[in-house]
Amino acid sequence: MLVYLGRRLNLLVITLFILCAGSFALAFLFPGDPLTNLSGLANPDEQLRQQLMHKYALDQGFFASLWQYFQLIFAGDWGISMRSGSSVFEEVTRTLPASIELSVYAMVLSLFIGLPLGIFSGLSHRKALDRGILSFSLIGYSVPVFWLALLMILVFALKLGVLPMSDRVSLLYDVPLNTGFVLLDILQSDMEHREAALQNAFAHLILPTLSLTVFTCSLIVRLTRRSVINVMDSDYIKAAYAKGMSRSEVVWQHGLKNALIPIMPQLVMQFTLLMTNAMIVEVIFSWPGIGEWMIQAIYQRDFPSIRGGMLAVSVVVVSFTISMDVLLKLLYPLSKRQLHAQV
Amino acid sequence: MPKSSFYEEEPFPSPVRQTWNEFRRNHIALLGLWCLAFFVLLSIFGPILSPYSALEQNTDAILLPPAWEPNGSTPFLFGTDSLGRDLLTRVVNGCRITFGASLILVLVAMLIGCAIGAFAGMSRGIRASVINHLLDAIMAIPTLLLAIIVVAILGTGLVNSMWAIALALVPQFVHQTRDVTRREFQKEYVTAVRLDGAGNTRIFFFSILPNMIEMLVVQATMALSIAILDITALGFLNLGAQSPSPELGAMLSDALETAYIAPWSIALPGAAIFLMVLSINLVGDGLRTALRNRLTQ
Amino acid sequence: MPLLDIKNLTLEIDTSFGWVKALDKVNLSVDTKEVRALVGESGSGKSLIVKSIIGALPERWKVTADRMNWKGKDLLSMSDNQRRAITRSEMSVVFQNPLSALDPSATLEEQIAETIPDNLLDKGWFWQRRAQRHSIAVAQLHKVGIRDHELCLKSYPHQLPEDVCQKFTIAMALASNPRLLIADNPTMGMEITTKIQILRLLSKLNKTRELSILFVSHDLLAISAMADSMTVLYCGQSVESGKMTQIRKRPLHPYTKALLDSAPSFRRDLPPKAALHCLEGTIPTLQHLPIGCRLGPRCPRAQKECVKMPDVRRIHDHHYACHFPLHRDKA
Repeated sequence: MLVYLGRRLNLLVITLFILCAGSFALAFLFPGDPLTNLSGLANPDEQLRQQLMHKYALDQGFFASLWQYFQLIFAGDWGISMRSGSSVFEEVTRTLPASIELSVYAMVLSLFIGLPLGIFSGLSHRKALDRGILSFSLIGYSVPVFWLALLMILVFALKLGVLPMSDRVSLLYDVPLNTGFVLLDILQSDMEHREAALQNAFAHLILPTLSLTVFTCSLIVRLTRRSVINVMDSDYIKAAYAKGMSRSEVVWQHGLKNALIPIMPQLVMQFTLLMTNAMIVEVIFSWPGIGEWMIQAIYQRDFPSIRGGMLAVSVVVVSFTISMDVLLKLLYPLSKRQLHAQV
Repeated sequence: MPKSSFYEEEPFPSPVRQTWNEFRRNHIALLGLWCLAFFVLLSIFGPILSPYSALEQNTDAILLPPAWEPNGSTPFLFGTDSLGRDLLTRVVNGCRITFGASLILVLVAMLIGCAIGAFAGMSRGIRASVINHLLDAIMAIPTLLLAIIVVAILGTGLVNSMWAIALALVPQFVHQTRDVTRREFQKEYVTAVRLDGAGNTRIFFFSILPNMIEMLVVQATMALSIAILDITALGFLNLGAQSPSPELGAMLSDALETAYIAPWSIALPGAAIFLMVLSINLVGDGLRTALRNRLTQ
Repeated sequence: MPLLDIKNLTLEIDTSFGWVKALDKVNLSVDTKEVRALVGESGSGKSLIVKSIIGALPERWKVTADRMNWKGKDLLSMSDNQRRAITRSEMSVVFQNPLSALDPSATLEEQIAETIPDNLLDKGWFWQRRAQRHSIAVAQLHKVGIRDHELCLKSYPHQLPEDVCQKFTIAMALASNPRLLIADNPTMGMEITTKIQILRLLSKLNKTRELSILFVSHDLLAISAMADSMTVLYCGQSVESGKMTQIRKRPLHPYTKALLDSAPSFRRDLPPKAALHCLEGTIPTLQHLPIGCRLGPRCPRAQKECVKMPDVRRIHDHHYACHFPLHRDKA
C-alpha cells in the first residue's frame, strides 16, 4: 500500500516536473525572442535585457536557468501577459475557477445521469431497454460538442429566447469576486436581489453544462454498461445465483461493487476530456474561463499567457487524476487483478 | 463398420474471416460500414461530381435556403452561404478534406506510435522506465490541449493542425502497443520462437504483430473518430484550416455570424461531421463486439 | 422415493445453426445417502444437467422433461421463488474452479455469512446474529478440515491456496445443511494429494451426515473409489446407469466398456507393451449430431438399427439403452 502511494506520488512529482520543463522549453519553441516569451515584455531595451537575462539565469547554462524557472514558477511569477499587461498568474487564478465550476457541474450531472443509465442498460443486456440506451449513447458520443452547443444556442437562445447565450451572469447584477465560483459567490454575498441573481446565474449555466453533459454522459454510460455486462457474465455471479440468492440480492451485494470499483479510474479520466471540451464550449458561450482566455491568447500571439495557461490546465488535470487515483486506492484496497472495462 | 468418416469437412475459417462473419451478423454495424464506404467514395470522387467549385462565389445568390425550403432553388441543393458559395459543393469538399486529413494523420500516428510502443515494450531496465514515465506524463494531458499547444508553436493551417493532432494521438497508440507487446513477450510461444534463434525484430514482426492487428484496427477506428472531432474543433476555433478553405469546422465558424437568418449553414456541415463520426463509431463498435464474440466462443 | 428423480430430460439450445438438442432424454436419479457419479467425456453435457437442476439456464433455452422431481415435487412447474427456496436450503453446488466461484472483492467471511440461512439462528440483535453466524462459520470450517479459521475468514479469495478455497466452497455449500450436494468436477486440475483430501472429505460427509452427493466428473479412478452408483453420459444421452460394482464387473453398453477399458488399472489382464484400447474418433460437434443413438458412428457394434433411438431396458436396477448390448451376441 505504501509502495503504491509512493509510486503514485513519484509519478505526480515527475509529471509536474516534466510539465514545468515542457513549459520552459515552449518559451524557446514559440516563435520570437525567448526573453519576450518568458517575461511578457515586448522589445526590451538593452538594460532591461540584462536584467531579464539575469533574472531568468539564461546566461548560466541550461540547467541553471531551468532551476531558476522552477523557483519563479513556485513563487508565482509567471510573466506578464502581453495583451493586458497584468500578471499571468493573476489572470490564471481569475479564470481557472470559472472553468472548474463549469466542468464540475457537468461532471456531476453526467455521473448522476450516466451511472444509473449504464447500470440499467447492463442489467437488461440484449433487451429493448439496453438497445435504446446504447443507441442514445452512441449518438451522444458522436455529436461534435461545438455543433451541439451551436444548435442549442440557435434553438433555445435565439428561436425560443428562453435561455441566455453568453457570459455567466447578466450585467445587471454586480457579483463581488470572492471565490470565483459564481453560484457560491452569490450565495455568500449580501447583495440585493440575491434570488434573482441566483436564478439568472443558473439560467446562464444551463446551456453550457448541457452541451458538455451529453458527450460525457454517453461515455460514462458506455463504460459502466460494459463493466456491468462483464461482471454479470462472470462465474462467481452464476455461483451466487446457484447459492439461491435472488436477482436483486446478487446485483446489490456482488454485482455493483465489482462492476463500479474497477472503472472508477477511467471515470475520473473522463474529467480531463471534459475540461478540454469545456475549453471549446467556453469560446462559444463567451464563458470567461481559462479555455476562452487561452484561445484568445493564441489568436493574439500572447505567448506568456499560452504558456501559463497550458501549465495551469495540465497541472490541474494531472493533479486531479493522480489524487483521485490515490484516494480511490485508499478507500478500496482490492486485489491487483481487476476487470478492465473498455469504452 | 467401414472406416470412412461420417462427418463432413468442418470449415474452419481463419480468425479474420471469423471476425468478418461475426461482424456481418450485426446489421447496424453493417449499415455503419456502408455509410463509411459512402464517405470514402465521396472523398475520392466528390470534387468531380459536385456541380460547382468550392470557392466560386455567386454574388447574385447569397444566403439561399436549401432546395426543400420555399425560397430555395434546385441548382443550389443545399443553399448558399453568405458569400454565395454553394453549400453542397462545400460540404462535399469539406468531407473530403476532413475525412482524408483524419485518415492520413491516424495512419501516421499509428506508425509512429507502434514503433515507439514496440520499442518500449521490448526493452527492459532504465530505458523502459524512462519511456514509461514520460508516456504516463504525456498521457495525462488531453489530446485537444496538446494539439492546441502544438498549433501555437507551429502556427495555424491545415497541415500544422494535422501534425498537432497526430502527435497528440501517438501516446494512445504507444500505450496500447506497449501493453500488448509486454504481455505477449511473457508468453511461451515467444520464448519458443526465441529458442529457435529469432531476434527481437523478427519476433515482433512475425509473432506479435499478427496478434496485435485486430486491436490496432479497433484502436485506429477510435482514433479516427477523435481525429475528426479534433480537426473540426481546431478548424472551428480558426486554429486549423482557415477560410476560405471548405473544411467543415471552418465552415461552421464562418456561418456563426449569419446563424440566425441561415440556420442551414450550421445544420448541414455539422450534420456531415456527425454522420461521419457516427458511422466510424458504429463500425468500431461492431468490430469490437465481433472480436469479443470470436474470442469467447 | 428417490431424492432427485429426472426422467427424459431434453434441453434444446439455439445456436447459430438452429435448435440443437444438447441433452436428449437423460435419466438420472439420486437416492438418500447415495453417492452417484455422473460420468462422461468433456462436451457430453454434464454441466448442462447440473445447471438445469439448479435452474441456472438462460431463459430462451427449452427444457422439457417427463419428470423432474425433488422429493416428489415437480421442479419445472414451480415458481422461481419456490425453486430458489429449494436451491438455497436443500441443494448446494460445489463448482469446478474455486477461485472463479468466489467473489474476488469480498472477504470469505462475508461470503459464507450469506449462505447461512436465518432459521438456524436464534432471535436477537443484529450484532448477536453476526456473532452467531461467525461461530457457525467457524464450526463449518473445522468440519471440512480448515484449522486456521481466523486467517481464512478475513482473507480475500486470491490470497489463499486452491485446496483451501475448494474446502471453503464445500464448507459454504454445507452451511445451509443441504440434503443433496452437487459437485461439478471439484478436483479438476488439482494435484493428486489435494484431490485425495477433497475426495476423502466428501466421502466422510456422505457417511456421517446423510448427505447425498451427485459427483460429476470424468475421472474414473476417483469415482470408482467413492461412488455407490454411476450414470454414464455420452453426448447428451444417458447410456447406462446402475450400481458401481455391477457396472465394473459387467458393463452392458459398448461405451461403458470402452471407458472402463481406457483406464488401465481396471483391466488386470493387459499383456505388457500391448496397445491401449480406445474408441476411434471424437465426440461429435453440435453441428453434426448423429440421429438415433449418438454413439453410432464410433461404435464397433453398430448396425443399421442404431439410427433409431434405443429404449431403456433394465436388469435388476441396471439400466441400459442399446440395441446390441454386450450380454447379447452381435446379431
